[in-house]
This record gives sequence, structure tokens and C-alpha cells, in this order.
Amino acid sequence: MFGFEAITAHNGWAMALAGALIVMSGLAVLSFVISQLYRIVDLLEYPKRKHKKTQNGSQTGQAGDGQKFAIPQQSVEDIMEKANRYKKLGEQLGPSFQLSELYAISSKHGLPHPHLTIKSLREAGILVPRGDGVFCWNQEILAS
Amino acid sequence: MDLLIQFLTNTGYFLADYRHLIMIVVGSTFVYLAIAKQYEPLLLLPIGFGILVGNIPFFKGFGIGIYEPNSVLHYLYFGVTSGLYPSIVFLGLGAMTDFSSLLARPKLMLLGAAAQMGIFTTLLSALFLGFLPKEAASIAIIGGADGPTSIFLTAKLAPNLIGPIAIAAYSYMALIPIIQPPIMRLLTTHNERIIRMPEPREVSKKEQLIFPVVGLILCCFLAPASIPLLGPFFFGNLMKESGVVDRLAQTARTAIIDTATIFLGFTVGASTQGDVFLNAKSVSIFILGAVAFSIATASGVLFAKIMNLFLKEKINPLLGAAGVSAVPGSAREVHLVGLKADPDNYLLMHAMACNSSGVIGSAICAGILWSFTVG
Repeated sequence: MFGFEAITAHNGWAMALAGALIVMSGLAVLSFVISQLYRIVDLLEYPKRKHKKTQNGSQTGQAGDGQKFAIPQQSVEDIMEKANRYKKLGEQLGPSFQLSELYAISSKHGLPHPHLTIKSLREAGILVPRGDGVFCWNQEILAS
Repeated sequence: MDLLIQFLTNTGYFLADYRHLIMIVVGSTFVYLAIAKQYEPLLLLPIGFGILVGNIPFFKGFGIGIYEPNSVLHYLYFGVTSGLYPSIVFLGLGAMTDFSSLLARPKLMLLGAAAQMGIFTTLLSALFLGFLPKEAASIAIIGGADGPTSIFLTAKLAPNLIGPIAIAAYSYMALIPIIQPPIMRLLTTHNERIIRMPEPREVSKKEQLIFPVVGLILCCFLAPASIPLLGPFFFGNLMKESGVVDRLAQTARTAIIDTATIFLGFTVGASTQGDVFLNAKSVSIFILGAVAFSIATASGVLFAKIMNLFLKEKINPLLGAAGVSAVPGSAREVHLVGLKADPDNYLLMHAMACNSSGVIGSAICAGILWSFTVG
């Protein structure tokens, strides 16, 4: 038996349609579930984070004249300050370098959030691509 | 003198016919492509050499051939016919797969699902050409572009077609750099090809640990027939992510998968004997395999374009081609086509997300087809 007759006789249309729908819906459900995974993890970690925050909230320092002040958890930095720090660090890489090299050297020196910082430097136009995966510093912006 | 004549009539030189010679040329070509051109050498070299071994003529009844009981090759071939080797390969695959890019962008899983439409279209085409349902399902799974999955399903449904289906599946996987790029360029505009994907978010270790368990439960509850493939796959992944059984994960992704790959390729090659392989059915299977790969690539790309009609943050439609689960070949081709359009556009990480979802999708499809055609 050949042709469309064969497909109909062997229930081919139903198999193809049902199979396609099953695999699409199955993976769609899996996709939805894993998109919510980070919330489930956050929910599981919420009590721990709350406990840590309560402990850190009471952290204070003392100035020379005896006055107490609250130590901020993270210092708020200007993008230019980050850029200058990374540029100094990246001097040993030369005028052109790959982002992975800059990332490696900043991680080695213990700078916080190197991935996010390099991303923000790219978005601010301070790191510019030269093609072939190589980047350099935008001297005009750094000088201003 | 009689003894000498008897010996000579039992040699391969006496017993050879044109079919053996054709298959020896095919096997030699595979070996050449693997070594000189480096086309998927991990697959083509064992298969090619297996074809050479399997097509050396011998006197049947001596317990030498792969189809003769109690022969060495027959015992090694058991891993293919029973579906053992594909399961072991999937264990190793899971232990070397990093799902973080997929977990960071779960939408890309839908592209892996869309690329499996090649399987169902090929199912219809195979039925149209007169293949029986079990044979058609075995041929259709070539569209999943997953060698172990193709061999697993064929061993269950149509063991007589293992040779041509495996050769077709692995040949087309090796030809991905030739098949996919023209289809990708045909179905996308330059502006679409230069779409940049946003940086994926950081994925926590806990998410990477929970995923294999959740994936196993959701996928195998839906298609229990895919347990022999997805069970080891997610197990391998959990071993890798847990960090507490590094030795086992390391063994799974090195020694174990390599051993299974050697025996799988070699015995599949040896099973493709001229009298079984050289017929009209095999030619049809080869043609349908090309159709399957092309439609799978096209469906993934077109689905991505359809998704873009509804999304604010557009997806680069080239990623749809990476839903074809030829890991990592199709992801690499997507990345290269993307780089040609925009040298600063790095799509590899995103393409690997689609690739790994394609592996899951093709295994689910194998389970579905097995359920439909069993009995």
C-alpha cells in the first residue's frame, strides 16, 4: 500500500498530530516549570536570608570621636570608578584583549561581580569591540 | 590438493561478490572522511571500520559473522539490539551536559520541541512510501538527529533496519555543516541573523540540582517508554551537578561513554552487510533521512520566527536550527552562521540551550513513537 491511502490506513495522520502535540506540550510544561525554579529556590532560601539580614543589620562601626555609624552592605560606585579600576588591572593585558582575559584577571584579584561589571562597562560604551572577539578601552570616555 | 582447494574456496577472495566490494568502498570512504576531513570522527571511524570488518566474506556456519549465534561480534552486537549501548551513551551525555544556559532562558526549550516536527513529517513520508508503521517510526526518528536514540528505537521496532538507519543518521549528523547553513540562510533575513541575545542570568547551583529530578519526572511520566534513555541521561546530569560523586561523573563522561561509542559504532558498521544494505529500502531511507534533517532544521527556524511575532525581546531565529539534537554540531553551525552575519554576535551558549532541549525532545519522541507502534 502506498500514498495517502497508506497513511490513512495506518492511522498516520493521528500519530503525527498527536505525537507533535504531545512533545510540544510536554516541553512547554517543562519549560514553564523550570522558568519558575528560581522562585522555588528563593522561597526555600528566604528564611536563611532573613536570618542573615537580621544579623548584618546590627553591624555598626565607630568613628574616631566615638560616634557610631552604620556600615553599608555594599558601597555605591560610579561606573567611571569601576572603569578606572578595571583599566588599571587590565594594563598588563595590553591595549587589546579578550573579555575572558579581563574576567580572569579581575576574578583573580577578588573584585566583586566581575561578570556584571564587565557587562555594564560594555553597555556604557567604555569597553568597545574591535572585531574578532577583541576589545579595547574607549579613551575618550575615560578621559572625560 | 583437495585440502588446498577446500581452503581456497573458503577464503574471502573466492567468496567475494560486487556487494562486498561496494560496501568496502563505503566503509573506506567513512574512514577517510573521519581521518582526513575530520567529519565526526568519533562516529564515522568506528562505523567505517566496522563496515570493513562486516563485509569481509566468510563461510557461513563457522560462528564468525555478526548474525551468527555465539560469535564474538554477535555478543558485542547484543548491546545494540537490546538498546544497552544507547542508554550508556545517554548516561555519559548527561554527565557532560551543562543545562545552565537552558535554565537561564527556558523559552529556548520550545525551539528544541519545534525541531522535532521533522520526525513526524518523516513518519508521514515513510508511510506514504509504503513502509510499515514500525519501520516508518524507526526511519522517522532519524529526524531527531540523535544517533543513539535512532538505534535504540530501531532495535525495538525494526531491528532489520538498524544498519541503514544508523548509517543514514550518523552520515547526516556528520554532514550538518553542509545541510543546515543553506536552510538557515534561506529562511532568515540579514536583520534577523544579527539579532543579539541578552546575557543569560546567573543560574544557582540549586536550580541545576533540581532540574534533572524535575525533568525526569515530567518527561518520563509523559512518555514512560523514554525511561531507558532519559533515566540515565538525567542521572548522569545529577551526578555531574551534585559535586559529591565527581569520580563517577568523570568516569561516565569519559571511559564509559567512550567504550559504548566504540562498540556501538563498530558493531553497527559490521551489521551493514552488502546483501542486507544494498537494496531499494536503504536508498529510500537515505532520501527520507535527508528530508528529516532538512524539515527539522526548517521547523526550528520557522518556529522561532513565529515566536518573535509575540515576543517583545526577539529571539535570533538561527537558534531554531540548534533544536536539531546533533550535539554540538548544530549549535556550532548556528554560531558560525551568526558570526558571519555579525562578527560580535556570540550565539554558541544560547544555541547549546536549544541543542540540549533537542536531546530531551528526541528521546520523548522515541518514547511516543514506541508507545504508538507497539503491539
